[in-house]
Amino acid sequence: MEKQALIAKLKTIVEPYIQDEDAFKSLSENTDFVKDLKINSANLVDVILDVEDVFDIRIENVDMEKMLSVKAAMDIVNEKLAAK
Amino acid sequence: MIGNDIVDLKIAALESNWKRPRFLDKVFSKQEQSLIINSEIQSQMVWLLWSMKEAAYKIYVQQYGERIFNPKKLTCELISTREGSVNFNGNQYVTKSEIGDDFVNTMAYSEEPNTTIIHRFKIEDTSYKTQSNAVKQKLLKSFSELKKIPLKNLEIKNDKNSVPRLFHNGIKQSFSFSIAHHGFYGAYAISINSSFQS
Repeated sequence: MEKQALIAKLKTIVEPYIQDEDAFKSLSENTDFVKDLKINSANLVDVILDVEDVFDIRIENVDMEKMLSVKAAMDIVNEKLAAK
Repeated sequence: MIGNDIVDLKIAALESNWKRPRFLDKVFSKQEQSLIINSEIQSQMVWLLWSMKEAAYKIYVQQYGERIFNPKKLTCELISTREGSVNFNGNQYVTKSEIGDDFVNTMAYSEEPNTTIIHRFKIEDTSYKTQSNAVKQKLLKSFSELKKIPLKNLEIKNDKNSVPRLFHNGIKQSFSFSIAHHGFYGAYAISINSSFQS
C-alpha cells in the first residue's frame, strides 16, 4: 500500500486510544505508540486487533512483539498484505 | 528489582472491551483463559493477570533494556489472588497483588521481596501528563524524606525505553523503583535496600 495512505489509515486506527494530542497531530512513521502517543498497553491490543480488522489480516504474536511504532506496524501490514 | 502496575477497574471497563473477538487469545494462555472463564468476577481476573504481566514486564525492561509487546509470553501462575509469579524468557518474577473494589495493584520482584515503600493514591485529573507528573512528584518527595536530601537535587528522567530513572545532582541512581498510573489511581514502589550514590 502507498506509504502516505497507509499512515493515514493507521492514524485513524490509533486515534481513539492516544493520550498525547501533540504527538498525534504530528504523527509520522517515526512515532512510537507508547513513548509518543502514550497509548496504554491494554489499548495497544485493541490497536493490533483493529489493524487486523481494517486490513483483513492476522498478526501472529511473534510479529506483534515489534509493533511498537508506526513504522513497525507499516512493515507488518505490508508484509501481510503482500502474502495475501 | 521491582515493577509496579495499577488498573483502575471502572476506567478499564470503559476503555477496554476484553470480550471483543480475539482479545483474550492475544493476551492470555489457554490456562490463564480458563482461570478467567471459571472466575466469579471475570473482569477482575482479567485485570489481575494483566497487572501481573505488566508489573513483571516493567522489571524485564529495567533488566534487559529491551521493549517487547507480547503479553501472552509472560505466563502467570497464581497461588492465591494475592500471590503468584510470572515467567518470561527464562526469568521468574514473584508477584504480590492487592485487589480493591475498583482497582488492582500488583508488585513484581526479581528477587526475594525486600523492604519496599508502596504508596497508592487517587488522582482527580485523568489526563496523562498530570498523572505522570503527580506520581513522579510524590515519589521524589517520598525519596527525599527517606534519604534526607533536598527535593530540589532530585530529578526523574525517562531513558530511551521509557523507564523512569532517578538522578541526584545529575548522577544517575541505580536503585529500583517503579511508577504506575491509570484512571483515577496512581502508585509508586521503591526498593529501599538499594544503594545510593551522591
